[in-house]
Amino acid sequence: MQWCRGEADGRMLIPIAGAEKGDSPLHRLDDRAKLVALTGFVVAAMLTPTRPVWPWLALFGLLLVALAAGRVKPGLMAKRFLGLSLVVGVPFAVSRLGGEATRLAGESFAVKSLLVAGGFFALTATAHMPDLLEGTSRVPGLSGMSALAAFILRGANMLTGEVVRTNRAWALRAPRARLGVRLRGLVAASISLLGRAAARSDRVGAAMVLRGFDGRMPPAPARALSAGDLAVGLLFAAISLAIGGLGRWA
Amino acid sequence: MVAEQRERDALSRARELSLAGMLGALGLLLPIGFHALGWGGKIFLPMHLPMVVAGFLVGPATAASLGFLVPLLSSALTGMPPLAPPIAPLMSLELMAKGALASLLYRRLALPMWFVLPVVLIVDWAVLGAAAYAAAGFFGITTGALKYVWAAIALSWPGTVLQLVGVPLGVAAIERRLPRLALARGERR
Repeated sequence: MQWCRGEADGRMLIPIAGAEKGDSPLHRLDDRAKLVALTGFVVAAMLTPTRPVWPWLALFGLLLVALAAGRVKPGLMAKRFLGLSLVVGVPFAVSRLGGEATRLAGESFAVKSLLVAGGFFALTATAHMPDLLEGTSRVPGLSGMSALAAFILRGANMLTGEVVRTNRAWALRAPRARLGVRLRGLVAASISLLGRAAARSDRVGAAMVLRGFDGRMPPAPARALSAGDLAVGLLFAAISLAIGGLGRWA
Repeated sequence: MVAEQRERDALSRARELSLAGMLGALGLLLPIGFHALGWGGKIFLPMHLPMVVAGFLVGPATAASLGFLVPLLSSALTGMPPLAPPIAPLMSLELMAKGALASLLYRRLALPMWFVLPVVLIVDWAVLGAAAYAAAGFFGITTGALKYVWAAIALSWPGTVLQLVGVPLGVAAIERRLPRLALARGERR
């Protein structure tokens, strides 16, 4: 997908939030193996009933092991979970005012939400979007989606640059402008940006055809998934599913 | 002749992908801007705005893919909307339906915008209700999905007004820059 790559070294400029360069075991693990592990973990979290409590605790323990293996910064983790406080904390708090069934539903909602969010956080904090996109580009039916996602990220990089430049220009030209003037400027700049972005997309489309785009998405070159990585992913998924299954049916 | 036609198709596909990418990028960046200003995403629905504009400008399949992708990408990039509780998946379904329907009615059937936009908003609420009902089942919650939808509609009235005003403006701004988009309405591609 050379025609929708990022800058200079071919990597996207916008990383996944928290996906910092790292050399932890989880960073080194193949992203596809992480996806296998995550799928098992999410299914296990959904299987786990409200009572007994031990399967939840075991899954949280497993999640902590994964986050520790990824050497994820506690500050980043706290920030991400703080972002969930409104959407998880408020319904949970309200459910405490209800009867037994409402309280159990509130607990189930909060715990499952935190487990699934934690699982996705462990993945996104240790993976890079281009690697994930290259993986999905080889899945039949998803190649178009992954190419579109690559375009979105490329466009986001470009527009971010435009916004930064516009903002700098405002700061230089009218540092003490009134709010009304700034808002009018913001609306005018947004409409102008939209028009410019559309015109630019036309030029990009023409350039793609000149570079050989024929209307179909070229598949990304295949990379072998090592047996070791796959085994780690499957093991994590199996442990998660065993915990979830035992909690539900034992 | 065939080669020319193929080249035209490739150009049209490339332009559509590129335009969809740009609007998708706005779908990622606008919510960040709104959050930075302290304006809630649930109230102003900033991600919906470029997605609906895209529905009016690109084909149904591309609009649906774009609507499906952007909330999930935003979730992976910024953590918002969250994947669990399943707000991002619900938004994906909502925006997918919105984009595809807008494109189908406006681009394929060439219906007027004043008719299409309200229809799209109403269908959006119906899809949100159905998706919230299905998602609630995963958490063992058997009631309240309808209340969630009423609350979401009541809370997001400024976002609805913003879409009713902003989408025609956005579509007009882009169609003025790219007149071929307005000329191609009603064509099957």
